[in-house]
Amino acid sequence: MATARTFCLKCSLHLFKKGPNVGSIGTNVFMRQSNTLSPRLVDVHRHSKLLDENQTQDKADEILEVPRDFRFVHPEFMPPSLWYRRDKLTEYLERRDMYRRRSVMEIPEFYVGSIMAVTLADEYSPKKNSRFVGICIERRESGLRANFRLRNVVNGQGVEILYEMYNPLLQKIEVLKLEKRLDDQLLYLRDAPYEYSTFSFDLAPVPLPKASSVPVNTLKVKLNPRPWLQRWERAGLQGVEEFEVSEKQRIKAEKATTPWEKYDLMKKYRSGINEYDRGDIIQEFYKQTELNKPKTLKKKPLKQV
Amino acid sequence: MANKCSMLLVRASNCVHNYIHRETLTNPSFISCYQQKRGRRRTCKPPSWFVRRSPTTWDKDLTPENKEFLHGLVEDECKVPVCSPLRDEPWPRGEWTRSTRRTGVLAIKLSTIPQWTKDGRKVYTTLLQVLDNHVIRYTPPEDFRKTAGWKPYWGQKFGSVVVGALSCDPRKFSKEYNHLFMESGVPPKRKLTRFIVTPDAAIEPGTPLTAMHFRVGDYVDCQAKTIGHGFQGVVKRWGMKGMPASHGVTKSHRKMGGTGGGGDKGGIWKGKKMPGHMGMDWSILKGLKIVRVNTKFNILYVVSTSVPGPTNCYVRVYDTVLPNRIRATKEPPPMPTCYPEDISDELPEELFHEDLFRFTEPSISYAEEES
Repeated sequence: MATARTFCLKCSLHLFKKGPNVGSIGTNVFMRQSNTLSPRLVDVHRHSKLLDENQTQDKADEILEVPRDFRFVHPEFMPPSLWYRRDKLTEYLERRDMYRRRSVMEIPEFYVGSIMAVTLADEYSPKKNSRFVGICIERRESGLRANFRLRNVVNGQGVEILYEMYNPLLQKIEVLKLEKRLDDQLLYLRDAPYEYSTFSFDLAPVPLPKASSVPVNTLKVKLNPRPWLQRWERAGLQGVEEFEVSEKQRIKAEKATTPWEKYDLMKKYRSGINEYDRGDIIQEFYKQTELNKPKTLKKKPLKQV
Repeated sequence: MANKCSMLLVRASNCVHNYIHRETLTNPSFISCYQQKRGRRRTCKPPSWFVRRSPTTWDKDLTPENKEFLHGLVEDECKVPVCSPLRDEPWPRGEWTRSTRRTGVLAIKLSTIPQWTKDGRKVYTTLLQVLDNHVIRYTPPEDFRKTAGWKPYWGQKFGSVVVGALSCDPRKFSKEYNHLFMESGVPPKRKLTRFIVTPDAAIEPGTPLTAMHFRVGDYVDCQAKTIGHGFQGVVKRWGMKGMPASHGVTKSHRKMGGTGGGGDKGGIWKGKKMPGHMGMDWSILKGLKIVRVNTKFNILYVVSTSVPGPTNCYVRVYDTVLPNRIRATKEPPPMPTCYPEDISDELPEELFHEDLFRFTEPSISYAEEES
């Protein structure tokens, strides 16, 4: 019986993938649209044999061995996970635009915590472009609307700029220091002393030794005394020194935690892209960017994560 | 005699006087009188002239081999449009004038993605796929006037075109529904819709409609059913404020306030905003610009973030009715639609508006001023 169960695992996952009734919220959304097709039915009609041949979508011909999982390096290639908003054809067309842009301008590998310099075309500045150096504190969205946020202190004033990664006004993205931090978001730097987010504009790039993995900076930041912009005691931060919490705040923070969520397999499945789709996207990415890289952009191989 | 009959009918059906007197008894449209209805039609029942869609019988006793054979038969026979040798010559193609109304297409709304213009401005575009569309029927104005769905304010100017999307297995539908597709010779469609056209844009049944029906730079109207929310209260439906959470308020935090005054004009007026069914209603967004067309997958990139309806809903897309936009069109659009033989050169896979940034181009930069 055990063998049969493992054999059927793939089928059962496909069942989940097919059926629209995945979650309670999603079901309601689906049931109340009588003028609407399910995403699965649209895909069936796209590959229908009653259709002309020119409308059918290309299929991946061969399966390549991809050296590593690119979803952590380029998270913007993973589509949003709401099943009732997803459409595979749109995602494919969107990704194709992204590859085109990447073949013209290099978008390097970077993480939250890396120190970066971005040059943007600016009609109103005297040199017609502006360069900004800062630490990446946030990375959001996927597809063509992917963006990241840089923070620095200019003239004693904290400054943050949000850049869209596929904006054609971007001239150049440089990674001056490639590293990670202990947290996924560094928004708490807004409530930290300015020394933690001050970087010189003529910082020289710090090269990484060859064949080394991306280092993790284990710096612990000391937050300012309250009031804060957010209730950081609830965020479960790693890269922050211990701070004082009153009894009331501690109890409330404890109540707000959801420790059972890590056992919620269905939620985990729903909140991400399933591994079959993910595998297709990673293969396509590898094929488009790593193998077909123009020689001008070809540099040393990417570091192992 | 006619006058007396009409008076009787007026009393019986409670309809508008003028229409009865103007018409003759021989015209069937006179029997189905037109009475303007305010508000929305809240019924799930299809109109009375629609045929039954679902089949009355099903092949429950077929063996698997027979089922497979039938499936193969459907794929082989339904794909090619049936061309009779007795068919007439292709219909003459009319010329476009400002008063022409061409047919539209039945698209599927995909999702919204950003694009950039050449001056660095971001525009959000909605993707509409014209998937497997065919013309099912054309009715000239004389006949259309006698049909049940005709409205008197259309006059005698318009005929109608029925467009279908998404071919299906004929075993899925009833015999009557399948008979609707005899004239056009295409497999039965999952969804049908009707467009009002002028007689110079008459189009032959069986003609495929693609995204090339529109050109890059054209303006279109999108009509679809909005996202349904079910029965909703006054705060969500009309954005009323409700009442405070505390300070002695009980049981009326999300209720409306007063519904009307007293005295002479007292009572609740008609059209008062109240709780009720929200969404799932027809809505039109007019004057949307097409900035990019994918000819392989038949996708229109339309500048808008708010095309009505959820993802994967049906959208009726047709030439805009805004008079200024019609006046501004310099070159006439393909009449009645773009046929494959009209395209002389090989079609590029993607067509862009001249102002739209292409991702294969280098980054936008501004030239330095010489001082």
